[in-house]
Amino acid sequence: MPETGPRTQAAPAARGAQGAQAAGVIHDLGYRRYDGPRFGRAQIVRALIWHSFRSSWGIGRGIKAKIIPILAMVAMCLPAFVNAFAVARGNARLFGYDVYTPQLRVFVVIIFLAAQAPELVSRDLRSHVLPLYFSRPLRRGDYPLAKYIALTLALLVLIEVPLLILYLGTIVSAKNGHGVWLETKALIPGLGMGLLWAVLMAAIGLVLASLTGRRAYATGIVAIANVLTFTVSLLLIGAEGGPDTTATGARIAGLFSPFTILDGVRIWLGGKSQGFDPPTLGHIGPVYGVVFIIVLAACLGGLAARYRKVSRS
Amino acid sequence: MPSNPGPGAAGSGAAVIETKALTKVYPGNVTALDGLTVSVGPGITGLIGANGAGKSTLIKILLGLIPPSQGQATVLGHDTQTSGETIRMLLGYMPEHDCLPPDVTATEFVTHLGRMSGLPPTVAKERAAESLRHVGLHEERYRLIGTYSTGMKQRVKLAQALVGDPRLLLLDEPTNGLDPAGRTAMLELIARIGAEFGISIMVASHLLGEIERICDHLVAIDAGRLLRADTITSFTMASQVLAVEVEEGLAQLQQELAARGLTATAQQRVLLVPLAGDATYDVVRDAVADLALPLCRLEQRRHQVEELFRDEAEVSRA
Repeated sequence: MPETGPRTQAAPAARGAQGAQAAGVIHDLGYRRYDGPRFGRAQIVRALIWHSFRSSWGIGRGIKAKIIPILAMVAMCLPAFVNAFAVARGNARLFGYDVYTPQLRVFVVIIFLAAQAPELVSRDLRSHVLPLYFSRPLRRGDYPLAKYIALTLALLVLIEVPLLILYLGTIVSAKNGHGVWLETKALIPGLGMGLLWAVLMAAIGLVLASLTGRRAYATGIVAIANVLTFTVSLLLIGAEGGPDTTATGARIAGLFSPFTILDGVRIWLGGKSQGFDPPTLGHIGPVYGVVFIIVLAACLGGLAARYRKVSRS
Repeated sequence: MPSNPGPGAAGSGAAVIETKALTKVYPGNVTALDGLTVSVGPGITGLIGANGAGKSTLIKILLGLIPPSQGQATVLGHDTQTSGETIRMLLGYMPEHDCLPPDVTATEFVTHLGRMSGLPPTVAKERAAESLRHVGLHEERYRLIGTYSTGMKQRVKLAQALVGDPRLLLLDEPTNGLDPAGRTAMLELIARIGAEFGISIMVASHLLGEIERICDHLVAIDAGRLLRADTITSFTMASQVLAVEVEEGLAQLQQELAARGLTATAQQRVLLVPLAGDATYDVVRDAVADLALPLCRLEQRRHQVEELFRDEAEVSRA
């Protein structure tokens, strides 16, 4: 395009073509003031959450951005559909709502997080968009808060939708109302666990991804940190006597990875299904609850500190 | 808001920006602003200063992003420390550096930032299209920003500042990275926004020769202090010189001019004569003619901004 002069001539023609309702008046309307209603900070934050939630699923982005979220979702839902067929043939429900398919869920959540947490934060860091946010009504804590809520919601969808499919696939074959009631009673703690997963993993994913604006590095950091801690934790549990032991070493080993922490919290809260952790935590159950809160608080604090620094530079 | 008629007053009418003894000391004892008192009125105001003079620090304080170490600043009558949110609702800011993501279209990007300025969804869409049209991006607005030229990117940066219908625009080095034609176009655009859109503008730049073309007022700062704040005419009068180039007899001419009451300074092959008015031309012409020297150039020149600053700094020290 020519770099000289505002192209005011081209505009009225396009405007006229768009707006036949403008009674054929073709003028450059000039600058128009806006005196209508304006949203306050809370609604701006909500708009940012919605925008970020959409981009965490690749909506409003190119095809490439949609591949990983969609594949993750499909992979996550597949067992739930398999269950529906199995139940229809007279089998019992295949997976517990509180653990679903533990290994698959860990795998898919890591992939989703490694791909999408950088999508939410690294892009803006990389292209230095943040001054544009911070020169608007948002306060400096609002941006990371909105990103955190958006990623939590995205993970919630990824984790809970398969549970709902599992539930629906099971109750359509239920023989009576009592069967439906039992399924519903089992589903609710499962949904609660899903929420804990989403809340913790979103915080971990974002704080790691916000360390760098380079997307590939951010993805690597998130993936490696999660895979590594999970592997170390499982190895230590194995070395201390495996999942069936009551040894304190094995019980503590579960505190080294977010996924085993989540599983420990589940067991502490009374979950019965087979996860990764020692099935009996004994008296150290509350420790898992405390560590869960400490890790969550540390990640959120780190995220806030990171953006406090960015907003001043 | 009463305007301050003191030495730091630029502009007339209610002050758009007003600072009182504004000081910012960064950790490590780096003083970015040192007791800056200035009042900026409506219209287009140039904020001129060399790199590191404190322009960006001043802008960050005005946006309410960093607190001043001492002193006070008000923007459109709101205190920056207590009403940052209100101020940012009324401000449009165009940063100096690149701040655009390459993988979205200009329309999507400006629409999103319109929403971040508090516009309802449909309004944000309309105003994004309008802002992009005003800056001269219309057909191109559905293209990914990554495919834009530097000039187009600067326009997108301006459009995002404009989308929220601000009462005041803060533009930080808007012609950064542009070629001469692009600079002219950008300056024309800014002048138009200031004149036709009724939006007050503060343009920060280190190129005096450039922004003086569009500004009504100038505020010059150096090392965090106010050098001068004045209308553009009185500002540039003092900074104008006449460059005289002769093929030979430079020293001779210098003496002759001194005899006629003009202090000319030699700079390489040119004599620089302070330009007091049309009479200066006549004196130089007569001097050259009387000496019968081969004159090859006689042109009106502007002091480089650094020179202006050196002079002003010397004056303020004295």
